[in-house]
Amino acid sequence: MRRALTILLLLAPGLGLVIALMGSVFYLAVMQSFGLMNFAGESALSLSYWQTMLAEPRYWRALQYSTYIATTSSLLAVALAYPLALLLRKPFRGSLLLSALIKAPLLVPGLVAAFLFINVIAYHGVINELMVRTGLWDKPIRMQNDANGYGVIFLQLWKQMPFAFLLLSGAVQGLPEPVLLAARDLGAGTMARFRKIVLPLTANAMQASLILIFIGAAGDFSFQAAAGPTSKHSLATLMSNLQGEQGDWNSAAVVAVTLMALSLFGSAILALAVRGIQRLVR
Amino acid sequence: MHFGGFSALNGVSFTASRDEFITLLGPSGCGKTTLLNIVAGFLKPTKGSLHVDGSDLLAVPPENRDSAMCFQSYALFPHLNVADNIAFGPRQKGVKKNETVARVENLLAQLGLQLHAQKLPNALSGGQQQRVALARALAVKPGLVLFDEPLSNLDAKLRDQVRNEIRALQKQVGFTALYVTHDQAEALAMSDRILLLNNGVVEQEGSPKDIYFRPKTRFAADFIGAANIHAGRAEGGVLHTAFGPLRTADGADGDVTLVWRPEAVLLGAGAVNSLVGKVAAVAFQGAYSDVFLAAGNETVRLQVAGNLDVTAGADLQFSVAPENVISVTDGGR
Repeated sequence: MRRALTILLLLAPGLGLVIALMGSVFYLAVMQSFGLMNFAGESALSLSYWQTMLAEPRYWRALQYSTYIATTSSLLAVALAYPLALLLRKPFRGSLLLSALIKAPLLVPGLVAAFLFINVIAYHGVINELMVRTGLWDKPIRMQNDANGYGVIFLQLWKQMPFAFLLLSGAVQGLPEPVLLAARDLGAGTMARFRKIVLPLTANAMQASLILIFIGAAGDFSFQAAAGPTSKHSLATLMSNLQGEQGDWNSAAVVAVTLMALSLFGSAILALAVRGIQRLVR
Repeated sequence: MHFGGFSALNGVSFTASRDEFITLLGPSGCGKTTLLNIVAGFLKPTKGSLHVDGSDLLAVPPENRDSAMCFQSYALFPHLNVADNIAFGPRQKGVKKNETVARVENLLAQLGLQLHAQKLPNALSGGQQQRVALARALAVKPGLVLFDEPLSNLDAKLRDQVRNEIRALQKQVGFTALYVTHDQAEALAMSDRILLLNNGVVEQEGSPKDIYFRPKTRFAADFIGAANIHAGRAEGGVLHTAFGPLRTADGADGDVTLVWRPEAVLLGAGAVNSLVGKVAAVAFQGAYSDVFLAAGNETVRLQVAGNLDVTAGADLQFSVAPENVISVTDGGR
């Protein structure tokens, strides 16, 4: 009993804070999505906010768009981080510099990165000016706020890939050299070694990377607001729009709950996918 | 083989016959593992060649060589069970499924691992892991099996057992073995031939008996087994040591280094090489006793069968037959 109490007390400052903050936000969002706990009006249990939102095409477009951005960004970030982590597994001349450059985006706030990016790809930005001046292009090309969200995905990769790199390089560096040599000695080529040894043994790091990036990208506001397509909302910008411009807290709460659900289910699906891959490659 | 300015191997050359058991023996840092890694293909020599049945192997990557290695740390794949570890090589080499299953079952039976087939490596003892590593290497039916100090992580009793198993399996299955160790007892017990390495060069090459009974250099005599070494100027085939005059069978003269083994002694006076020293210490070892004698600034070690009942400080007379006194060079680098 005393031991259990000690453990509980030790956990309380950390876990308690997380549960209190997470729990209260989640509770508020869920309640408000059902018309309860309104700060600016009467509170009454209602399904109408969900009914209205589920009938709105922009809601579904935002959900689809956020899912697309989060999935693509997380998969691409991990796909890019893996070879870099493997390349930098053993030190070589310049490897420290390369490693520092890869991690540099971690120091730049996302919004700053988005504005830098816009300066580069804007109609009168660096790329267009350069290409027109050198005569390679007749006139500037419109790249900013592209309809497919490529700019947002690029920014997500730029910002999120270092996280994946940090996690994966730790895992890859932890692989025992003799195990990799043994696989090679037994006839496994580069790809076979990656599929049969590296991937299963670093799956936990891959899983963590995918989940962290997915959640971050699904809830992105700043990249979407600065560089995203003007014709589409992400869930975060839709939420902001509903609450900020329309003052509709309850509908915003519906989107917030959807965003949390997307993070949860997306993470679960990615985790299961990684486990599946792990079993498949054995 | 050079690493920067350091020469790890220098002018090493040897040949191996089919089904021969060759041991690369030497102290830490002598280049034996480097040589093994070159043969495996993990390292490329600065210069030199490596031929198997007449074809040059240096351009062949490790995955395409007809060899398999047993690593010091076993290097088992931690996420695969025992059966899958053993099947890994055949699967990579494109062996048919039926044949792979048959090989795995045979090796599990041969190495007494049937009950552990579905276990992960971390559920096995050190000896069992070493057997799995051996089975995994043999599953690809390699012409050459490379052993990198495979017994160094096992306790003494298990080491004896596994070394006998390896040797028996090598004879039974039939493969050429290149075995790296720094343990001279292991090398003497297992090898057809020993390459004794020191500072990147082959100090001596020969059968275990050759190297033990006829060491050519001071290093070879000292590294393999225990040796009593006397250096000095011999006249008329006799070197005057602090224990008495020592004569060799070949009657070497001039500056000589003479070696004799601790067990090559007879207690009491002999016709020649009758020596005497004061007992410094006696260590009972069960089957024999180690007796350490001192005279002047020199000490020697005798190994006498059974329990020798002498006390420290007493004089002890012994003799060494001249044919057991070997003249060696200082050798090496």
